[in-house]
Amino acid sequence: MFKYFLKRLLVLIPKLLLISAAVFFAMELMPGDAVTRSIDPELLATLQPEQIEALKEAKGLNNPAYIRYFSWLAGIFQGDFGYSLTSGTSIAKLIAVRLPATLELAVFGLLISTVFGILLGFVTAIHKNTPLDYSCTVLGMVGISIPEFFFGMLFILLFAIQLQWLPTGGRFDLENPTFWGHMKHMLLPSVSLAITLIATLMRYTRSCMLDVMGKDYIKTARAKGLRENTVYIRHCFRNGCAPVMILLIGRLSMLIAGTTIIETIYNYPGMGSMFLGAVSSSDTPVAMMVLLLTSATTLVCTFLADIVIAVLDPRIRFGEE
Amino acid sequence: MNKDYILEIENLVTEFTVGKRIVHAVNGVNLKVERSKTLGIVGESGCGKSVTAHSVLQLLPPNGRIVSGEIRFTPESGGETQVLSAYKKTSEKMRSIRGKDISMIFQDPMTSLNPAYTIGNQIMENLRNHEKISRADAKERIIKLLEELGIPAAAQRFNEYPHQFSGGMKQRVMIAIALVCNPNILIADEPTTALDVTIQAQILSLMKEIQKKHGTTLMLITHNMGIVAEVCDNVAVMYMGRVVEFGTVEQIFENPQHPYTKALMQSVPQLDLSRDVELASIPGSTPDASIHFDHCEFAPRCARACARCMEGFPEDMEVEPGHIVRCKLMEEGNVDEL
Repeated sequence: MFKYFLKRLLVLIPKLLLISAAVFFAMELMPGDAVTRSIDPELLATLQPEQIEALKEAKGLNNPAYIRYFSWLAGIFQGDFGYSLTSGTSIAKLIAVRLPATLELAVFGLLISTVFGILLGFVTAIHKNTPLDYSCTVLGMVGISIPEFFFGMLFILLFAIQLQWLPTGGRFDLENPTFWGHMKHMLLPSVSLAITLIATLMRYTRSCMLDVMGKDYIKTARAKGLRENTVYIRHCFRNGCAPVMILLIGRLSMLIAGTTIIETIYNYPGMGSMFLGAVSSSDTPVAMMVLLLTSATTLVCTFLADIVIAVLDPRIRFGEE
Repeated sequence: MNKDYILEIENLVTEFTVGKRIVHAVNGVNLKVERSKTLGIVGESGCGKSVTAHSVLQLLPPNGRIVSGEIRFTPESGGETQVLSAYKKTSEKMRSIRGKDISMIFQDPMTSLNPAYTIGNQIMENLRNHEKISRADAKERIIKLLEELGIPAAAQRFNEYPHQFSGGMKQRVMIAIALVCNPNILIADEPTTALDVTIQAQILSLMKEIQKKHGTTLMLITHNMGIVAEVCDNVAVMYMGRVVEFGTVEQIFENPQHPYTKALMQSVPQLDLSRDVELASIPGSTPDASIHFDHCEFAPRCARACARCMEGFPEDMEVEPGHIVRCKLMEEGNVDEL
């Protein structure tokens, strides 16, 4: 088993390098360069070409792309994430400010969706082909097919503008710096974030449960006189939950990368809105860093998924001897 | 003669809803199971033998239900009788009987164990569900049981997963799950069908051994006449959801009365059969169970059917003590003598 994990872990290294190269050269293809992008166009117009050239030389922008790629990579390994072109602050500092906000929102959204998604999946599987099941299935289809920004705008319109129960966005309430004041800001974004995931999780859980429910070992479990709930949780879900777990782990990258759309709609100061800002203002170092972090997290998630699958299924755990 | 019955099934009717059709799987089964004896239930696939057994423990799938009839269970000789059919499927009472007083093992040991848990864990689950016993004590008892059931290196195998066991060993584990609470009745639903022949014999003799040791009542569901002849004390022959003939092994094998039983016996291959003789078979096939009959279900395939067979159901007739036949021919006193 140790060998299995080691192999999976080692595979991550070339994958990560490949991704970093892809990120770097994709940004390289964008028009302009760091100097022209970071200087006010009006100011840029007044500069002499020699001055610009001197700046480029000083920043190392005249080196070939692969040299700059490796120096960028070397910087990252030394903890030097570079500086924002627009604000000049260190990217590490920017991330240190944004990441907690994103983590908070994502943890909240994931918690809501996991609890409700799996619970609804259980209920619809157990009460298969009842009116409850049908209505949940229809609602689930709606939840999956309507994109999250629609719910985001709908909620703002309804709860923030019409009913004025909750704020339209932001993270902190300076007039009400209590826990509940804070929660008020969290509620709408995390619920809009959770809806799609609830619907997806519900459908996954339902079909996984139904797959397992007809198995012989479920009858064995019942023949032991176990409670129905024990049968469902310990025998049905435990065996059928692998796809649900993989789906959930796949969404964990949201913890780091944030959710661009929801954060932007609610003007929430997280990684997602930072990424969008960086892209629209051609702040390539920031955009690159967020992209790299996102991909790295996704990779780590696939590794996590491998571990979870092995833990869940002893046949995999003991297979690779 | 008043016999000591541990389980009595009276007029059991079990139906399944498949789409809009109703399938009559069991149509008024009467069965009496003697304490500490082995009852064999035989019949073709789909004759309702398995459904009868599942009805006893109410382990029917969601689309199946007991419509009428009574299942009475008397755990102690001369003791109180419980009416199992009156309990709800998921009720506390029914659950306390499943796996404790009445246990069941299934046809396919390959799929009957949960692949995610160690076998020790799965056996312990049944034990600790019914008895207050510490994990350590339970483990000790289970290892002893596994050794008794012929699983070598039981202490070590306790922590292994089902996929590390062979088919025969898995069935032994299933038997261990069923026996860990010392049940009064062990229902075995074709316990050897999925195993190869050498293992079949081992499992059967193991079950007989258990019976001798603990006085467990066995209900053996099978379509293998050889197994019945070897292990059973009493035999019930089922056709289309009814018991058509019931008697001791000797009565059924040496003096079968129902045309269906006779035909079944003739279709069992014999080693001394000449190569040129074609093996007898019953013409036609089992009718669709959703068809409702108003006369003997076997009449359309019966070699000895007459006009009377198409008029109303036959009654149960006791042709000799303990030998019951459900056939119109018997009503005319038409008992064959050997």
